[in-house]
Amino acid sequence: MLQDILSTKTSLFADGVQTILRGHENRNRRVVLLKGNMVQNSRSASNGISARVNKNGTYGFASTADYDAEGAEKVLKAATENALFLSKHSNRNIELPASLGTGTVKLNAEIIDTEQKTIIEACKTIDDYIVKKYPDLISRTVVYTEDSQDRIIYTSDAFNGHLVTPRCYIYVMMSAEAKDGSPVELFKAFGGFGSFNDNFGKLDEVYEGIDLLYKRVMDKKEGVYAEAGLKTVILSPYMAGMLAHEAVGHTVEADLVLGGSVAGPSLNKRVGSDLVSLVDFANMYEGKMAPLPVYMDDEGIVAKDVDLIKDGILVGYMNDRETAKHFGMEPKGNARGWGFADEPIIRMRNTCVLPGKNTVEELISSVEDGYYLIDSGNGQADLTGEFMFGVTCGYEIKNGKLGKALLDTTVSGVAFEMLKTVDMVSDKVEWTSSGFCGKKQPMAVSMGGPHMRCKIMIGGR
Amino acid sequence: MANIRDIADSFDKIIKDKGIEKFKYTLTESEKRELNVENGEFKLFRTVFSNSGSIKVFKDNKIGSASGNDLSEEALESFAADALAAAESSPEDPAHDIAPYVEPHVFKQGILEPDIDKFLERLKEFLATVAKEYPLVKIIQSTGSYDRWNWLSRNSNGTEFEGFGGQYGFSIEICASDGTNTTGFDYTGIGTNDLDKPFIELGTIRRHIVDIQNSLVTENVEGKFEGTVIFTPELTGEFIGGVLGNYCGEGVVIDGTSQWLDKVGEKVADEKLTVRFDPYDERINMGERATANGFLSEPYTVIEKGVLKTHQLSLYGANKTGRPLVKNTGWDIIIEPGDTSYDDMLASVKKGIILGRFSGGSPGANGEFSGVAKNSFLVEDGKVKCALSECMISGNLGEVVKNIRSISKELICDGGSVLPYMAVDGIVISGK
Repeated sequence: MLQDILSTKTSLFADGVQTILRGHENRNRRVVLLKGNMVQNSRSASNGISARVNKNGTYGFASTADYDAEGAEKVLKAATENALFLSKHSNRNIELPASLGTGTVKLNAEIIDTEQKTIIEACKTIDDYIVKKYPDLISRTVVYTEDSQDRIIYTSDAFNGHLVTPRCYIYVMMSAEAKDGSPVELFKAFGGFGSFNDNFGKLDEVYEGIDLLYKRVMDKKEGVYAEAGLKTVILSPYMAGMLAHEAVGHTVEADLVLGGSVAGPSLNKRVGSDLVSLVDFANMYEGKMAPLPVYMDDEGIVAKDVDLIKDGILVGYMNDRETAKHFGMEPKGNARGWGFADEPIIRMRNTCVLPGKNTVEELISSVEDGYYLIDSGNGQADLTGEFMFGVTCGYEIKNGKLGKALLDTTVSGVAFEMLKTVDMVSDKVEWTSSGFCGKKQPMAVSMGGPHMRCKIMIGGR
Repeated sequence: MANIRDIADSFDKIIKDKGIEKFKYTLTESEKRELNVENGEFKLFRTVFSNSGSIKVFKDNKIGSASGNDLSEEALESFAADALAAAESSPEDPAHDIAPYVEPHVFKQGILEPDIDKFLERLKEFLATVAKEYPLVKIIQSTGSYDRWNWLSRNSNGTEFEGFGGQYGFSIEICASDGTNTTGFDYTGIGTNDLDKPFIELGTIRRHIVDIQNSLVTENVEGKFEGTVIFTPELTGEFIGGVLGNYCGEGVVIDGTSQWLDKVGEKVADEKLTVRFDPYDERINMGERATANGFLSEPYTVIEKGVLKTHQLSLYGANKTGRPLVKNTGWDIIIEPGDTSYDDMLASVKKGIILGRFSGGSPGANGEFSGVAKNSFLVEDGKVKCALSECMISGNLGEVVKNIRSISKELICDGGSVLPYMAVDGIVISGK
């Protein structure tokens, strides 16, 4: 855990500007077993200090890997000089956002280190389980990855705090040979917020997930290509979460709204059916800790939930202090940087479609001819809300029943059109938190949702 | 911070004191200066002082590694201890190794003394040019940076490499709006060692700007058809990179799932296709000089006139599979030009699209891909008909390289690659 060496440096903050001083560490642990061969076995940490100075809308930022008092002084000086230099070349002259209060946010958790030996043993145990139980697979990969974040923040006119986000995951990938000799593969991630023992003290849940993954790989071996075109589909919670994050979430980040996203002219307008509500949760969901809780952002703003879509109407954006002032909204803790050398930018946190009233069984049985889309390899979206998700796992639905598995395909659509086709929503939300969002910098984010019935374009062959 | 060579000498002593006999490590010190433009205005000036260190320790055919950015004596002690502990916990695998001794080398590349004033003027000139010549184009974000670095690597066979480098970088994220219609975004970037030309003339920057301005009004493709796709140079690189990753990469060769596992020496692609990796080509600004395994980088050809010449195996992959290694990590891709001009390529297309960006899922292990054709244009009877929206393409990577109709004479160099346009038949194009 980081030691606080920054508290005495706030006296160096310049007058007439807004300053943030941040101590920051990212810690990684990684083990990769490819078909039983250890191809990666590493431990790393990256830490340093950054300062950001806002002079009437021009920002100076500086960072150093020297985590000491001298480093703090160096970055404060360099960031101030950068802001002054740039202000001579920029037309921006924006009044600084008003302070929303000051105080201190308490440390939220601890990061507990685990010996590499323990991690390796867990990976080998899982690999052995797969080899013994499922010898007909042509390949398998077991990956342990941990990427914890530790931040100490001091600000000139907002909150200070020391906050951590420990998270770790085990990914299991399986490959099987289809009838034509070509390989098919699937993967699943296990784990979440917390350290190794929080997530992998017992491996029962991992084994259960592996058994389901194997069944799906075997189904995919016999898989068929989806028929291309506009289809009725049931999106799994994972796919609903992807939609929430990629297709809608990015368009309602205020910096991208200013960049021309479709959400600009859509505020307070209908963008989905009455059944669609979307929230970017800060740190709690239904009375429990959200998957990756954020209590304060890197501008010193105490985190609150952001309502984005309410009953189908677009009601808000995610902001930093400057864009909140621009749009007349309240900043709610979305400005975050991933590494010590990253300036805070607007990022999602725990973005989720809210649940409805149907059961998942009701959704599936309601589809005469369509698809159940379960898992995705990746996704991208555009300022226009046009999105694409790779589908790695899915099934046909024929007369209300699951049919053959699908081979890899892609779905696409335009978010604010597609959300209007949502006509059934299940009553349970599931989350995933293993991914990274990429937007200049990576960022750990979580996303979730219920099962949703809608119409979507699916790519065939 | 002490200089990198002094730190390396201290590290050597720590490694020796811990009884580590077989190792390799790299230490780096770097600085970035970056100007950020948001919505057409300078918004942020960022300076990043960075260090990094990484070590791999080999013990009894076991391997462990550790890395971090703190190069203090205490941190170096931790690196060595952590890597040793990781190695001791690791299963044995005799395939892990380092390269034999190579004479010491010092590499100096790029711009070590930047002209920041001129760089700033080029950035201002770019913003002014776009505002004047392309008033409907909006620069959502643009980044101009100068990066400088010094790295030093040593291994237990006595090899020492040291590198000094510096390069300017420039990237844009753009869209267009006429007040009624707004396009999606597009992006591109370059690395350069000189400031002689305006940024808009480098790489494919002007083409991206022109294309986005011409994409304000889009049409849907009607139905579904098998047509020709003209891959723009970036997309040629992206798809050929995907082909190589799927069929020639270390992971798929080690686990045996590559569909080109036993195809070396055989024809796997159209004879117009030659792909090589040459870090010493004069069009590559910052070509790799030494591999992570401790070899001096060497150029190699992976596909020559359609024939697979090699898989892309590192020392580990080569030892593991008994197949030849390549002494080059594979960053500096060069695809040889064809004999068709871009205009002739376009004129020959009966029905198809020009693919400007591909938003698709990662191809399956079998090479099947599908995704959305972004920033793309419909071509009919040899002419560009309109910009497209909601258009999907699908196919198979292995078939793409077999169905090459033509490769352009024109090449685009962005500082890190040399790529042509490539026209491919038999790709499924489908609309709403």
